[in-house]
Amino acid sequence: MTDATAPLRRPRWMTIYWVAVGPMFAIAAYLGLVASPRDVNQGDLIRIMYAHVSVAWIGFVAVGLTALFGALYLWRGKRGDDVRSAASAEMGLLFSALTIVGGMTYSKPTLNTFWTWDAKLTLTAIMVALMVGYFVVRGLIDDPVRRGRVSAVVAIVAAASLPFNYLAAEWFRTLHPAKSVALDGSGVTMDGTMLGVLLFTTVVAGLIYLGFMLERVRLGRIEAELEEARTRGAVRTVAPEGVVRV
Amino acid sequence: MTRAAFADGAARGDGPAGAEHEVAIRLRGLVQGYGGAPVLAGLDLDVGAGRVVALHGPNGAGKTTLLRLLGTRLRPAAGTATVHGFDVVREAHEVRARVASLPVFGGAYGALSGRENLRLAAALRGLAPEVVDVAGLLDRVGLTRAGDHLVRAYSSGMRKRLALARLLLTDAPVWLLDEPYAALDEDGQALVDTLVADARREGRTVLLASHDLPRSRGTADAIVEVAGGRLRVVAHLGEGARS
Amino acid sequence: MNDLRAVLWIARKDLLQEARSKAVTVATVFFSAVTLGVLAFAFGQNPDLMRTGAMGALWVALAFAGVISAAQSWQADLEDGALEALLGWPLPRAAVYVGKLLANWLLMAALGVLLLPIAGGLYGADLGPSAGWLVGIVVAGTLGFALIAVFYAGLTANLRARESLLPVLMFPVVVPILLAAVRASGAIVGSDDLELAAAWLRLLVGFDLVYAVVCTTLFRFVVEA
Repeated sequence: MTDATAPLRRPRWMTIYWVAVGPMFAIAAYLGLVASPRDVNQGDLIRIMYAHVSVAWIGFVAVGLTALFGALYLWRGKRGDDVRSAASAEMGLLFSALTIVGGMTYSKPTLNTFWTWDAKLTLTAIMVALMVGYFVVRGLIDDPVRRGRVSAVVAIVAAASLPFNYLAAEWFRTLHPAKSVALDGSGVTMDGTMLGVLLFTTVVAGLIYLGFMLERVRLGRIEAELEEARTRGAVRTVAPEGVVRV
Repeated sequence: MTRAAFADGAARGDGPAGAEHEVAIRLRGLVQGYGGAPVLAGLDLDVGAGRVVALHGPNGAGKTTLLRLLGTRLRPAAGTATVHGFDVVREAHEVRARVASLPVFGGAYGALSGRENLRLAAALRGLAPEVVDVAGLLDRVGLTRAGDHLVRAYSSGMRKRLALARLLLTDAPVWLLDEPYAALDEDGQALVDTLVADARREGRTVLLASHDLPRSRGTADAIVEVAGGRLRVVAHLGEGARS
Repeated sequence: MNDLRAVLWIARKDLLQEARSKAVTVATVFFSAVTLGVLAFAFGQNPDLMRTGAMGALWVALAFAGVISAAQSWQADLEDGALEALLGWPLPRAAVYVGKLLANWLLMAALGVLLLPIAGGLYGADLGPSAGWLVGIVVAGTLGFALIAVFYAGLTANLRARESLLPVLMFPVVVPILLAAVRASGAIVGSDDLELAAAWLRLLVGFDLVYAVVCTTLFRFVVEA
């Protein structure tokens, strides 16, 4: 992710990257669905965890990086940081949405309900709402610099609320009789193989995030370039009458 | 007061005093506006310190845009603008300390009286209460009797007069006046002429946007036309050309 | 020093405006009273439900009132370009934020304290022997709420669709404030459990501290051209 001049052509290594990640994804799927043992209590349902937990973790990372790149933009004012921030926000929204789908998939057969007020799931839902707000704001501002600044501010304020949201949701739950099962398997001693598989699926989810980031940042750069070229194109660069002195 | 050719150097002075050869306002390749045709399409302009320059042009030509930009309320899409050498983006605070604006709208709080609005403006501009003669300012703009009425009840002309009083609060070396004659009666328009003449005598730089070309001819040293996003000098007016 | 003076002048200006127009006071008092009434109907005359839900209803009413208050406070600045003119002056942008925050906080905290006995009476909940704590919780809770509400109301003031956008943006951020405030005051009213209330109050104060720094630091990017 260097600030080179607009790489309009898609570099070949991006294709190679995906070709490498593809088999890893297949291996992760095999490990999660076939190779790993069944859970003593939950049987095959535990396999949802490998996708669900890894996606959730990367979703958090994505939202955190949205705020981090936003802060960098406010600090340095480089367009590239805004592009990276927005790209990471898209991934954050996607991964959070997938986390909720995963949580509901797991919750239905185990608890016979699609939604539980599990702390982490509640937090993810709030994250989705925060990211939707981020994109609504982005869509309302035409001036690219102002858009970058205001959306960076929204991202930072949103990210800063996550620890508080988590604490509140966690404490809130503990005051209820335990109606819900922690969806990350915490409190359950994890078999070594299971942990290994989970770490591997998380790495693969991270690589998928990174791949999408690279693609999206490249597109974002082109969009930014186009936007700037439009402004430039409408301007005659050399004043025919020279500097007006009065 | 004589106005010779202006030296073309970076000028960074604080006040109007001895500023004759300084450039007070400098635009280089200034562009404003996003998507489609920009409002200002690359302006290059030097305004000498102590000059009174009238901006003339049709509605939507970009006069207000240029004044808001110099007042640090808009950021250029490209190019630079400086006021007494200070960049309107990077050194906005320095620019704000040197600029007083007369907005095209009233710019005052309706729920406060004229007097309260002036006190608020003085305090927020960092002026000590004892150095501000609020009553005197109200008197100067003809609002003595309406001073304690809420601005909400003011006519648009009275709001303009209050804005003029706010302009006079500070000794900012640069004035940006957006349609100063609009909404004012004959009396009020004459008041603007007097204030601008005073400002010239005190060595302030005045940028004045107006549709009223004949009126501007009476007050300005030069008239610059803003049209199609560009600038063009219409007239350099000497001391004798002004009545 | 000058900055502090600017903060106080802005706050004073907002409070003076409010004292004259009473736009916020009328709207928020009426609105929160209606909210308390509607929620009382929703609880369906179940005395137990009413008692436990009293503080929840109070904070729902305060939250909606807080959105109105924050949005209204910027409305006056937008009229006739007053804020636009003000931002052209050499004063720190954060001073504008902190000033408006102080005024909003004061109004919200006063409303909260006013609503406490009303909610208690309406829902048949005895505020208990530690009712003094409730004032502290209201003060800390409304500060957290006002920090976010005034910030986002300023952010949306210049955007299209600001009325609908403000709650969408701010409510996910203030969820912890509302949860903590409801739980803390519930612990006082329901069970006089000071230890539990203190734990939630700590979360509130932590939120207040973090956001006081974050919002004050970032505000200039919200209004700067």
